[in-house]
Formats: sequence, structure tokens, C-alpha cells
Amino acid sequence: MVGAVVLALTVLITLLSGTGEEGAPLSPENPGPEGARGVAQVLADEGVDVERPGSFDEALALLDAGPATLFLNDARQYLSATQIATLTTAADRSVLAGPGARQLTALGEDIDLVGPLPFDPGGDTPPPEAACADPRASAAGTITATGSLYSGPVECFPSATGDPPGGLYVTGADGSVGVLGAPGVLANRSITAEGNAALALQLLGSSPALVWFEPTGADVASVGEGIDPLTLLPPWVDLLLAWLLVCAVLAMLWRGRRMGPLATEPLPVLVRAAETAEGRARLYQDARSVEHAAATLRSGTLTRLARSLRVDHSAPASEIIDAAARRSGYPREELERRLLHRPTTNRELVPWSQGLLDLEKEITPP
Amino acid sequence: MVITGRLVLLALLGVVPVIVYPGSTSILLWALLLIVLAALDVALAASPRRIGITRTLPDGVRLGEECDSALVLRNHTARRMRATFRETWQPSAGARDPEQRVALPRGEARRRTVRLRPVRRGILRVDTVTVRSAGPLGLAARQITVPAPGVLRVLPPFHSRRHLPSKLRKLRELDGRSAVQLRGAGTEFDSLRDYVRGDDVRSIDWRATARRRGTVVRTWRPERDRRVVVVLDTSRTSAGRILDEPRLDTGIEAALLLSVLAERGGDKVHFLAFDRRLRARVDSSARGNLLSALVTAMAPLEPELIEADWSRVPAQVRSASPHRSLVVLLTSLDSGSVEEGLLPALPGLTERHVVVVASVRDPRLEDLRADRSTASATFRAAAAERALLDRAAVARQLRLLGAEVVDAVPAELPPRLADTYIRLKAAGRL
Repeated sequence: MVGAVVLALTVLITLLSGTGEEGAPLSPENPGPEGARGVAQVLADEGVDVERPGSFDEALALLDAGPATLFLNDARQYLSATQIATLTTAADRSVLAGPGARQLTALGEDIDLVGPLPFDPGGDTPPPEAACADPRASAAGTITATGSLYSGPVECFPSATGDPPGGLYVTGADGSVGVLGAPGVLANRSITAEGNAALALQLLGSSPALVWFEPTGADVASVGEGIDPLTLLPPWVDLLLAWLLVCAVLAMLWRGRRMGPLATEPLPVLVRAAETAEGRARLYQDARSVEHAAATLRSGTLTRLARSLRVDHSAPASEIIDAAARRSGYPREELERRLLHRPTTNRELVPWSQGLLDLEKEITPP
Repeated sequence: MVITGRLVLLALLGVVPVIVYPGSTSILLWALLLIVLAALDVALAASPRRIGITRTLPDGVRLGEECDSALVLRNHTARRMRATFRETWQPSAGARDPEQRVALPRGEARRRTVRLRPVRRGILRVDTVTVRSAGPLGLAARQITVPAPGVLRVLPPFHSRRHLPSKLRKLRELDGRSAVQLRGAGTEFDSLRDYVRGDDVRSIDWRATARRRGTVVRTWRPERDRRVVVVLDTSRTSAGRILDEPRLDTGIEAALLLSVLAERGGDKVHFLAFDRRLRARVDSSARGNLLSALVTAMAPLEPELIEADWSRVPAQVRSASPHRSLVVLLTSLDSGSVEEGLLPALPGLTERHVVVVASVRDPRLEDLRADRSTASATFRAAAAERALLDRAAVARQLRLLGAEVVDAVPAELPPRLADTYIRLKAAGRL
């Protein structure tokens, strides 16, 4: 049950975040703090042709069409290592935004994921400096400290302490493949901080075209050709099923045949004797005839009091109350108030009728 | 023709050749085998048409007790018969094992009993017996339904007979047989006997004493050979259930206790069940045991969904007993039906007879009346109060017309009615 709820929520969240492409982090169309519309617009203004392919095949075609830089933002890691290798081969230059360790295995470069940059609670550590031979990184100087550390042939922007090792931007030996461990620097929120903007323009603006590829679930490579499961079954299964059907029909015939005709049971009339009283009660209630109900309850109580006080049952109420006052010692006025009060609402009726019962109990000798 | 579980099992065994030799041939062959075997079995089965069935049923069984329906099955064929038979009893007959197996060698007969424990009073009918005769392989069978009608009378349970000993003792105390001799206990002069210490001095017969040396007292005994007419109302009001028992059944209990008591008390009892016409009538003057005649007559009584016609009751009572008698009307005190029906007819009875109107009171009304916890409960209490007041008013009207009224909950009604009878008898009002 809980699992089903979690699954439903997960699917819902995935669908919501998947459908809102404009709202996705680092989307070139997203003007929000997490988006990267700023970078994309600046690049477009500078004359770089920013392309957004919708699928893997489209991205590959764009990269094959001419010299282009690939920016691969695959935060959910839909693509396999082979697919990424195919893309980077086709591209002049590639920048992979925070890829997973699994996705780096087929690159042909000695790049690997080290781990997240340690959290800096004080905030007094200086921002990481390039500290490497890559001219693009050196041009940027410093960037915001965020993201994951990678190890590789050229490691830029190491953590301030040097522990763990690695850098936030790592390139292969020839510099054509770059892994940006801190894709957050491209976001609208932080693009203006430190040398983030410089790094972004250096990385993405070096070619006349930029292929900004955000893979979706549709790009997940299938593992292989599907097999018709029926071909795995032995040849006699169809016949067996047919024969079992025959057996089932026989079993139905066996169990379905009754031992002789049904016996009929003449059912008696069933009337609960108290039903008329219940029906009348509902009539009273639906008609809100509180007065009528109260009068009935009162006369019932008076009748019983008269019997226990040895007063004639046809005597007027005042006579019965006199006798009750003599027996109980209550003042006559109080008895009159308790007995002859006329309730008008349901709320009044209930406690009043309970009071009648109590009075009866007090006056009637046990 | 009927197939059995064995044939289905054999068909399931066909899975083996289907797996071992896949192909339609094995299926067809196996199906052919099944058909041949089943046909052979049916052909070899003894014909159930030539079975002789005789049923023996008891005349009646008291509700709540068990009885046996005995069946003698005779095989008239030349083959051994492996039969399963089933009696088509209705569910309220409570048949414990209506379906049984029996093996009948050729020409022989076997006796089987079906244990019944009926759960409702009335007449149970069984019309048929179904016989299924299986072949020697037990793969297929032949089945027919043979008419074999039978009737079982489920008699009223007479739970109130547990009150009988104490009521009889009370009755005997009125009689001269008991040591207690109260003057006024009875009005008929019985005999003279010697005075013993403790006798009422007022009962000394001085004239007889003068003739003898010892003191002689007179003894009385209650009147005998009076008539008691019990009229049981079987109209629509008797269908009402009180504590899961119809008014009719409570009335039957009360009528049984009163009738048996009155018969032992030396009175003549006439029982009438009436709504618009006479449903049952039993007279104690007829030969045979009164109790068995009563329960037999009461067994088939059912509440009829029609209004009682009380105007015809005086004539019915007159035809049962032309003399002055005690007339007991077992009916209900629902204000509407009594005012319309019984009240106008009552003077016709009270002018000739002593009339007792006995009715079952619903204890549920008292419970409803006392519950005033919520608004709807209070309205229910008011409605119950109304019903009780109406009953009281009706009872008062009946008393004004000269009838005695016995109004009691189901368990109390039979003994209370018996007490009323004893009281009236002691007072010499019969």
C-alpha cells in the first residue's frame, strides 16, 4: 500500500517535472533562478547558433551537420556510456554537465567521478581557482564552489583544501571533452558570480553552433531486440491448454448437475409486532409533533402515577398531582412544573421526558 | 446421464499423453477413450427406473425433536445397483443427510433413514426421491427422479407443559381429594365425612351430626362438566412476531395448557381456530386423547392475511357449546382491529358466557418506552407509550363489557391464563 503510494507519487512528480520543460533546471528557455536562459541568450547575441534537439538522433544529426559544441545536460542520466561516447565523437567539443560515473566509462578518456565537493559550513573558504593548464579555465579565474569533483588528465578548480582530490572542471588529454562538475555555475542565479560567466562563454561559445541537448526518457537505449515469449514455450503448451479447457467443461458438467429438483420452502409472513410503534415514532419525528409526543408521554406517566397512588385513572391531572405531592413531599408547584411543562423543541423534549421517568421512579414505591 | 468426478480425473490424466506425444492425435484418442468408457459405464449401470421406493414417516413430530424418514429401496433389476439417492425435503425440515449412498445387490432391498429435525411448525411435504445409479467403473451414472410423496406434521412444541404439574396441584387443592378443605372452594355439594380437627366449623352439617354420634362436616367440590371454549384468532394480527415468535404460536401454547388443564379438571373443552371461517375444531367429547387431537389440529395453522370476522364468532361458539361456558378468546389487543371487530361482537358472548380475552403483550414496547436518550428515542418512547395507552384503553373497554382480560408477555401468557381459569373455577363462575 505504502509502496503503491510512493510509486504513484514518484510517477506523478516525474511526469510533472518532465512535462514542464521550461521549468527544468539549466534549460535554455527557463528564465527562473535555476534556468540557464541568460547564458543561452548571451551566446545567441554573440552569434552562436543555439540548437535544442528533442531526441538523441536529432542531436547526432545536428552534430554531424557541421562544427558544433555539444552541451549535454543529462541530470537524470538517461543516456548510456556508449550513447555519450557516440555524441562526443560526433561533436567538435563536448561539455558534459555533471555526468554519472557509469556514463563516463566509454569515453576513452581517463575521467572519473570522485564525489561531491565537501560542504563548507563557514563560507569563508575562497572560491576555487583554475590552477590548471586549460586556457579556458584559466581565463575564468575563479568559479562558485558547488557540484561534484571529477578526476582526469587535466583537473581545474580543485577544492581549496585539496582533499578530496580532483577538480570541478576536468578535460581529456586533448581538451575536446570537458566534464563540468559544477553545472550550477550556468544557472541564472549564479552566472554573474565570480568567473562563472567567463567560464560559461569560454566553454560553450567556441564554435559557431551550440547543441544544447537535454535527453528525455525516450532516449533511453533499449537493451536488445524483444523476444516473443510464446516462442520460449514448449510445443505442447497449446494442446495442453486446449485439453485443460475440455477438462474444465467436463468438471462443470460434473458439478453442475443437480441431484434432483429444487425443494420449495413456503416462507411464513414475518411482521414484527412493534413495527407499528416504530412507524408511528418516525411519523411524529418527521412531522416534528413535539407537543403530541409530550402529551402522550405525560398521560402515560400520569396513568402510571394514578395507579401507584391509588387514584382513579379518570381523575383530572390536578388530583393526581395532589396525591403525588402528598406521597413524595415535593411542593405542588414543582410537580406541576415538571409534569405540565409543554416542551416545544426536540432539545427541550429529551431532558423533560427523562425528568418524567425520574419522577415516576421517585414517587412509585419500588 | 450424469458424469462423475472420476471421469474428470481420468480426463485430467490425459495431460500425460498430451505432453509426452504432442499432437492432436493424442487428444483425439484420449477423448475417444473417455467417450467409450463413459458410454460403456452408462450401458452397464442398473436402470434406476426399476427401483422400488417405500417411505415410512411418523405421523407427527414435535417441533424441536428429531425423527427419521425411513426409505426402503428395492432393486428389481438383474444387476447390482450402486445408487446415490436424495430426498427433496424443504430446508426447514432440517434433514441432516438427505443425500446418501446405498449398494443394492440384485433383487435385494436396503433400508436407509434420513434424520430430520424440523425448525418450523406446520406440514412438511416431500414429493420426490432422486436416484442416481452409477456404472461399475463409476465414471458415469443414470439419474431419474421418482415421485414418492410423503407428509410430515410438525406439531407445536407445547413448551408450556412444564407449568402443568403446578397448575394441576392448584386445581386439586380446590377438589375434595386434597387435605385442605376450604369452605367456598367450589359450590357443588360433594359428600359428608367425619369432622377432623382443623375443619371449618361453619361446614358442620348439624342435621347429619344429630343423626350420628360423631360430628359430620359437608365437603364441596368445584363444579365439574362445565364447558370451556377456546377460540384462537388466526387472522392477520396473529402474524405479528413478538420476541421472534408469532402471536399465533404463543396462542397455541396458551390454548394447549388451558385445554389440558381444563380436561383434567373435569371440564369439556372445545377448541376453535377462526378468522373469517373455521380453520380447525377439536372437541374433548370426541374419542381419543385430547392433547394429540389438539396438536394435530393445530399443526397446520398459519396466520391468514385477512381481517377476523368477530360477528360470526358467537354463532360458532353456540354451535360448539349451546350452554353457558367459559369462552377464551386468544387474540391481540391492537386498538384498531379490536374496536372494529371484537368490541361490537362481545356483548353477544358476554350475555350468555363468561368471556376471557387473552393477548400477548410485547415486552419491546416497555423497553422502547423507557429509552429516552436521544430525540428519536424519545419519539419512539412516545409512540410506545401511545400503543400501551391504547391497549390499556381497549382492555378497560373489554372489562366494561364484562370480559376478563389477560395481557402478558409471551412466556407468561400460558400460566397466567391457566391461573385465570383456576380462579374462575374456584369462584364458581363457570
